[in-house]
Amino acid sequence: MNSMNNIIEDIKTKFNPINTEIVKKNQIAIDLNNEEVHAVLSYLKSQGWKQLTILTCVDWIKENKFQLVYILMNWEKSITIQVRTKIDRDNPKFRTIINIYPGAEMYERDVHEFFGVTFEGNPNHDKELFLELWDDLPPMRKDFDPLAYSKKKFDVRDYKVDFIPKEGEAE
Amino acid sequence: MALNENEKINEIDVNELDCRDTLTFWEKFGNIFRSKSIWMLHYCTGCGAMELPPTMTSRFDMERIGMAPMATPRQADVLLITGYLSVKTLRRIIYTYEQMQNPKYVVGFGSCTLNGGVYYDSYAVISRLDYYLPVDLYIAGCMPRPEAVMSGFKKLMDKIKKGEAVGWKRYQKYYDWYKKNQIRALGEVYVKDEFHE
Repeated sequence: MNSMNNIIEDIKTKFNPINTEIVKKNQIAIDLNNEEVHAVLSYLKSQGWKQLTILTCVDWIKENKFQLVYILMNWEKSITIQVRTKIDRDNPKFRTIINIYPGAEMYERDVHEFFGVTFEGNPNHDKELFLELWDDLPPMRKDFDPLAYSKKKFDVRDYKVDFIPKEGEAE
Repeated sequence: MALNENEKINEIDVNELDCRDTLTFWEKFGNIFRSKSIWMLHYCTGCGAMELPPTMTSRFDMERIGMAPMATPRQADVLLITGYLSVKTLRRIIYTYEQMQNPKYVVGFGSCTLNGGVYYDSYAVISRLDYYLPVDLYIAGCMPRPEAVMSGFKKLMDKIKKGEAVGWKRYQKYYDWYKKNQIRALGEVYVKDEFHE
């Protein structure tokens, strides 16, 4: 626990994080401004957080924000750090991190496909990865209605009989 | 959300094409032997494939009723759709099915192929298999136990022997209808593979 506090103090002296918290044992979360993300990521990489475990995105639809979450892992200290930042939801754009973590290329394509975030500087960011010939809103956004899409595309099976349980029958 | 009449897929009458009366003597003869030796394509689309190892191996032993797995579509008779079928897999399945030689049979496995199952509202999983491929037999359950699978296979054999499993003929006759449904769900039936470009 002491070493975790040391890491947080270290980050606080070098950068200006909005918020830091200890999520659970061996896990730290840091909220940052957009401008500082790349500096913090390269600093953490030089400190031993060499593995980018995942880059993912959270849709905060009421705040009208997307939150990008970079999860980093240090194999010597076995401490995980989440680096989080919020970007605008209407015109989601962010700078790529493939010059720091080259493996992020696939994650950025993934986030672009499922949330529509554009990563400037990643040459393949808009190439399709999982979904083929997608023709609707990005499906992980909260304003996307999967049931309506499923009915529009695949139709449903109509049942001629209504299965209404009678009295005494288990539902 | 209810769909308009013209948006809905028109269902076709599966009993309309009754091929039993038109079978020649040699076809009837062939059907008996086909039903005794069935090769199942070794291709797993979803979680239902988990029930196949116990069905194939010593516990239930599929080979004692004359079925065995086969690795290539061109030499297999039965295509098993095991569990949920995503849109991306459906493209590959259509390729695979069209590569198989006649006569060929499709078995829908589990509730996901019947009506979508737990993935009924998924954007990536089709909700009804017989719109896209002619299904000869459904095995219901989530997942069907190996006993149900074995009983389903036995039923398929009976159907083949009687000449009732005519899905492949239906696919030829109603090819336009199947193609239209496939295009509606998939956009185009064309497999792109970035890693082999």
